[in-house]
Amino acid sequence: MASQVMTNLDPKSRAAAKGLSDLTIRNLFIIPTIAFLIIFNIFPLLYSLAYSFTDFRASTNAPANFVGLQNYRDLLSDPFIWKNFSITAKYVLISVTGQVLVGFGLAMLLNRSIPAKGLITTLLLLPMMLSMAVVGLFWKLLYDPNFGIINYFLGLDKFEWLADPDVALYAIAIVDIWMWAPFVMLLSLAGLSAVPKHLYEAAEIDRASGIYTFFRITLPLVAPILMIAIIFRTMEAFKTFDLAYVLSSQPTTELIAIRLYKMAFQEWQTGMSSAFAYIVLIMVVAITNIYVKYLNKVKAR
Amino acid sequence: MAQIDIRNVQKFFGQHQVLKNLNLTIEDGEFVVMLGQSGGGKTTALRAIAGLETVTSGKILINGTEVQDRKAADRDIAFVFQSFSLYPHMTVRENIAFPLRAVRMNAADRDKAVSEVAETLQIAEHLNRKPSALSGGDMQRVAIGRALVRRPQALLMDEPLGVLDAKLREQMRAEIKRLHIARGSTSVYVTHDQIEAMSLADRIVILHDGVLQQVGPPDEVYLHPTNLFVAKFVGSPVMNVNAVRLEGNSVVINGASQGFHFPDQMLGHARSTAGEMTLGVRPEAVLLSHQPSDGFVEAVTTNIEPLGSHDIVDVRLGDTVLRARTESAFVSGEGQKVWARIDPSQAHFFDTATGLNLRGAN
Repeated sequence: MASQVMTNLDPKSRAAAKGLSDLTIRNLFIIPTIAFLIIFNIFPLLYSLAYSFTDFRASTNAPANFVGLQNYRDLLSDPFIWKNFSITAKYVLISVTGQVLVGFGLAMLLNRSIPAKGLITTLLLLPMMLSMAVVGLFWKLLYDPNFGIINYFLGLDKFEWLADPDVALYAIAIVDIWMWAPFVMLLSLAGLSAVPKHLYEAAEIDRASGIYTFFRITLPLVAPILMIAIIFRTMEAFKTFDLAYVLSSQPTTELIAIRLYKMAFQEWQTGMSSAFAYIVLIMVVAITNIYVKYLNKVKAR
Repeated sequence: MAQIDIRNVQKFFGQHQVLKNLNLTIEDGEFVVMLGQSGGGKTTALRAIAGLETVTSGKILINGTEVQDRKAADRDIAFVFQSFSLYPHMTVRENIAFPLRAVRMNAADRDKAVSEVAETLQIAEHLNRKPSALSGGDMQRVAIGRALVRRPQALLMDEPLGVLDAKLREQMRAEIKRLHIARGSTSVYVTHDQIEAMSLADRIVILHDGVLQQVGPPDEVYLHPTNLFVAKFVGSPVMNVNAVRLEGNSVVINGASQGFHFPDQMLGHARSTAGEMTLGVRPEAVLLSHQPSDGFVEAVTTNIEPLGSHDIVDVRLGDTVLRARTESAFVSGEGQKVWARIDPSQAHFFDTATGLNLRGAN
């Protein structure tokens, strides 16, 4: 069956002259990838699952003891962990909402014939292409209360963006929005340009106002692709580490990824942090599933 | 319902002029069909009336009010698109109700209007389905329903049957006509299909290269084409068009050995021109006979298209070919010797240079 699906090797090719069959060539291409996936993804995934039921610490030579579900029980009853979760939830909500509003707004502005559209789009996409750590470092300079350009332009004098525990999370979310709104913009732009022009003409003939057309025609038709952008951004925001880690070390900005990092590589609670990682994984999968369900519903319409 | 006036309308797309000084009055309740080749400006004219296209200069009046600077939404005109343009994410009911919801009509009136239109168009059983689940004909019915539901000033249709198959097209054509008679709505209909135009129109407007060629009822356009373009465009099979010269009372097709005898009074206008002349004869005006008789010219059949109700027979005269319409099985095959005559009362003489009908023979 499989050999029927594959196209046969050209008998005059060099590979055939060397006596290779197309099955061999297929394996040559696929096996390295599969090996890589198994060694670096699947194996650690299963190995950490095993660790999550032990009290193993990678910093000592003490043998790992099986503790059953103790790690999970401890984590889920720890109020500090729940604090981390609620901070993360707040961060995801602010950041993704901001990205969708800014990104979709930009896409609406770009989805018309304006001069230098290509150039503007490219420039708007630049933040997305930078490294997270680099973005974190220079926004730290921009936010600086002494010489930062943001306070200078906003006339905020010595306002402490990152040191103020109430503001720091918002400051990080602003950076994330700046960086990733272009991603939402790019996908929205693809969705918007896929809405047929004649539907807008039909709506105009039907005497629909601009706002009515937006909510009844544009938004429902862009919804599926916008939903994909939201899924991606939610997952990423949930896992945010480097940006927040570089920008601020307030207790109010301790996202789960940061807590996880500290637990695993500063406190060396390897078994416990493996369990923590699994809890986060299950949550991300669950949230994504909700979106995917909704996406399928939207697509069925 | 409304009267539509188009006055001196010009439309440029960049350097290219699409409408050249268009003047037309569409009466209240009239069904006008704009006919022409693609690129002839008919769709542009229709979109200009709807407000989907601006005009470069000139005026468009609906019920005496100038609307050329108004948006489509403010002209109270319905439009049926060739591609249907149904909202894909809404059910048929929501699609038809859309124009009413857009102006915030209350739910009770809205439901009543929607079911009434659905009833008229026989799509009531599809109301809860999505457009993608409908056949082409039903999709077009929904599109027409959405246009009619708010009782617009006028109904504009841009090749609404263009994407349907031949049989369905014929059926929908009859339905559109029935609807028009029932509703009495002012309708403007664009098509390149002259049969559609003939069967639907109160008046046909023929546009070519942005210039209005002829306006008139279907029979007038068919029987008295003002110029060569109209003559060739209207009618199927296409009119025979041949360069001719006069020899006394005889009209000789260039390339043919013998001429056709025409009565003197039929040639008055044809004689008045000094330039080159073109003769236009519809196939039904080319008469064939098995026996030689007075006024008939010898010819040989070359090709026969049996169409059931009648045949289209090509006959060769010298170097030229004429198409004739005969009763079915009048000639049995190719290469037969027959005798042909042209009915002088149905012949048109055109000035070859200007294309204008010399109005000689009719």
